[in-house]
Amino acid sequence: MLEFMDYVQSAFYAASRWNVDNSYASLTTSNNLLDFRTPHGVRLHVSSLSSPNFATSYTLGSKGVVDGSFSFLFSSLGLQVASKSNDLPLGHLVRGYRHLQELQKPEEGWQWEIWHRGKRIDTRDTLLYGRFYLPTSTLEALYLRRISPTRLFRLNTVLDSSLPSGGTALSQLQNDYGKYSTEYLFSTDAALFGFRGLYNFGYDPRYPEHQPSTRPPSHPWDHQSGRLSVGGELYFSPVNKSGGLSTGLRFTTLPVHTGFPYTMTLTVNPLMGSLNSSYAVKAGRNLALCSRFDFNVYSYESDVSVGLELWKRDLDTAWARSMLRREWQTKVAPVVDDNGFISSDFVERQDDAQGVLKARLGIDGKATVLWETRVKELLVGVGAGFNLRKKDQVLGNVGLEISYSS
Amino acid sequence: MAFNFNWSPLIADTDRVRDMLTTALNKSPKPPIIVDDILVNELNLGSTPPELDILEIGDLAEDRFRGIFKMSYTGDAYLTLKTRVQANPLNTYLSTKPSFASPQPLAASSSLTIPLQITLSDIRLSGFVILVFSKQKGITLVFRNDPLESLKVSSTFDAIPFVRDYLQKTIENQLRVLFMEDLPAIIHKLSLRLFSSEYQVTDLVQPRKSQADLRAHTDPFASLASLDDDGMPLDGNLETPGETYASFSQKNLLRLAALSESQRTLSLFTPRVRDAVYRAWSNASERKDPASGTNTPTHRTTTLSRIQSSLGRHGTGSSATSGSSDAGSHATRPTLPSIASSASLQSLGSSRPHRQRKRKNRVVDLRKKAVQNDNGEVASVASSFEDSESTGGSHSKALSASGTQLTSNVPSNEREGELVTPPRSPKKVGFHAGSKDQQVYAETVRPGSSRRPVTPHQLSSQALEDDDPTPRASMIIADHDDEKKPQRRNLPRMKTLPAKSKSVDLPRTRSDANVPKLGVPFGEGSSGGILEQAWMMKMAHEIANRVAEEKSRGGVWGQASSDDGNGVEAPPAYVS
Repeated sequence: MLEFMDYVQSAFYAASRWNVDNSYASLTTSNNLLDFRTPHGVRLHVSSLSSPNFATSYTLGSKGVVDGSFSFLFSSLGLQVASKSNDLPLGHLVRGYRHLQELQKPEEGWQWEIWHRGKRIDTRDTLLYGRFYLPTSTLEALYLRRISPTRLFRLNTVLDSSLPSGGTALSQLQNDYGKYSTEYLFSTDAALFGFRGLYNFGYDPRYPEHQPSTRPPSHPWDHQSGRLSVGGELYFSPVNKSGGLSTGLRFTTLPVHTGFPYTMTLTVNPLMGSLNSSYAVKAGRNLALCSRFDFNVYSYESDVSVGLELWKRDLDTAWARSMLRREWQTKVAPVVDDNGFISSDFVERQDDAQGVLKARLGIDGKATVLWETRVKELLVGVGAGFNLRKKDQVLGNVGLEISYSS
Repeated sequence: MAFNFNWSPLIADTDRVRDMLTTALNKSPKPPIIVDDILVNELNLGSTPPELDILEIGDLAEDRFRGIFKMSYTGDAYLTLKTRVQANPLNTYLSTKPSFASPQPLAASSSLTIPLQITLSDIRLSGFVILVFSKQKGITLVFRNDPLESLKVSSTFDAIPFVRDYLQKTIENQLRVLFMEDLPAIIHKLSLRLFSSEYQVTDLVQPRKSQADLRAHTDPFASLASLDDDGMPLDGNLETPGETYASFSQKNLLRLAALSESQRTLSLFTPRVRDAVYRAWSNASERKDPASGTNTPTHRTTTLSRIQSSLGRHGTGSSATSGSSDAGSHATRPTLPSIASSASLQSLGSSRPHRQRKRKNRVVDLRKKAVQNDNGEVASVASSFEDSESTGGSHSKALSASGTQLTSNVPSNEREGELVTPPRSPKKVGFHAGSKDQQVYAETVRPGSSRRPVTPHQLSSQALEDDDPTPRASMIIADHDDEKKPQRRNLPRMKTLPAKSKSVDLPRTRSDANVPKLGVPFGEGSSGGILEQAWMMKMAHEIANRVAEEKSRGGVWGQASSDDGNGVEAPPAYVS
């Protein structure tokens, strides 16, 4: 389950029309079914979006020792999202199978210009976020700025006395032109430079007139209804004189696809000889499956893991909801703006979702189970890790997470 | 003096060392590049032993040793480790960073673990080693500084300079931790195993080897060497330069034992240890009495002399006839210089056979001989034992013969003359004479019983408790200490002095003694039975009367009162 602040940040991305999925970093987001985070110990979140621009969150946790954090978020862009935990759509909080949307045409620069009496008065959307962890005195800070319709600047900083030189900062400049996206990174720690790029084959949203077809494909295996993306990343640190690179490939079905949605990814690290291939499928409205195969051609290390996501819906009212006309549905996601921009984070308005079960099993005997649900006003997540190989200590860490937001 | 470190048996036992090294290496948190347990694959200590310079030997005995060495090692030892390392530098780099500010690469940080074999060779060590050996507690070896000078790390990744440098740096840091923290623990554990259970085995093996070595290399000295192994200190053997073939644990320790034995007995013979400086010689006066003697000289003398006199009164009860003489002997005491009295007190406290005291004696003996010979007082006497005996005899003689001379300065002068020399040993050794010592011990109990009506068992336990040389804060026990010490000193003289006339200074001491004498019986008599209480009341009346008498009459009252009191009180079993 997303933390409240992450939820607000994703709302900021959506409200400022930034497509998070069109990046090499999120190439394998179908792995959300495998790499989900389970709570560890007992954790309590109390959050509030007190105004569209300001959010606070307090966390109290205990895993042996009591720790906690408090965080504040300011957004210059008013975020009209549901914030009360009893009407927060569970589907917006739980990252599962991501059904990618059709690429949108990026806005032009002049579209952002607001003129008032001969002067430009438009401002850039900015998000400021800080989080302070109490026993460790660690400070996390985030600065987001939409520089232009195709550009986002992101600055992450961590201040911690235990770190060398007291802290570290990571700056990212992301460009999203729809057809392709680039990303430049610099980390002050070891002066790491990075570059990421993603290129989408096929339809170019910048030239909608060249769009081949939006018609439904003639048969379910028609690749015209999918999108092939290829990307790569490159890192280099002149201090360490070391670096790394990887390339990736993804094919995913788009909403026009009439069959079940699926995503296939393949990432290759030619330096280290590792191959990761994953296949995620949304088998039904309530079920998604994912499998991943890891292999290293140098060390022959391999791993297979499978995961599933199972939604529990309110079956009593499901039929009634399905009968409702679209205009009558009250809880229309407000992030779908006039231009029809839809972020995949907010596309599935699964209002009737009562809970979601996620499970993962690896060939190394490690299994993880997570159950997230809504109990009255609270969002509750219970997770447990198992190691089936260890006979004496099957049950690993167990956690409980309770969130309340208003 | 030479130590022979046997390097080869250490090499033989590398299996256990390997296991311990493995556990030690995996105990501390490993750097993120190492993703598996570190296994010690091969360990060879090489044929070149480290060079050890003895800087200081703090303690030497059969079963313990403490010394500081300067160690330098440039040998051919090598160590092969096996582990698995993370070959992706980005993975290790990112694993130590907070995830919030991490670039979170998609697949560039995918892990690649590679089995790695590292060989550590050309180890150069140099440092100061503190070695503490005790039979019960094993060997404790501590490096005072970081001993690792240089080290050659050769691994599978020698072709890649970055990885090689990283490994070199990491391993050096790990080894520093190993030397400073883990190695002492390993050695301690090994030594504990060696000395607790398998000590016999090594004992059997080691001497045989050393004997064989001795026979082979120094045939002429073979017989001497065997004698030496028997523990007989032989001067010739010790002086011979070439016999350093025995192992450290056997022959040299025996030799050292012989040295300490010779100082423990009263024999004049001291095996010479070449190129050695006793720490005791340099600051013997500080080490002489670390337990009880540090603060006494100024602080105790006054109180002791006071209590002495009061005790003297009680002590006379044992033999009613010698009561007056006892008082007389006490009377002389305050006239002595304070140093003399304090010194005698301390010597009496240490007179019972204790190991700690003996160690001290050993030191003092060496000096005392010289000093006394300088004095020429009893120069003809050969052994220190006889020496002190004679001085004791001269004391008693002088005291007994010159009854009234006590007030004059003659005996005190004589005593002062002795006491200028390190004061404890002569008197103490004098008390080693068995029968006298027992006698003394029997009578030391009495002052306690006179003060406090308790059972003899408790008294003896108290007396034993006083054996503890450490200074204590409790006033009562300190009082006992003080009581006993003067009492002991007095008793031998008591017998020899049949009668003594009172001197001028006697009233002064009596008046000093009035307060404790009155205060103590009243305070502690209440704890006794009805009879004792009654007796106490009687005593109180008596004492009050006597005090009044004394004030009116002068010096004679002391004998009478002491006679009365001790006649009732003294347990007949303790009368000598």
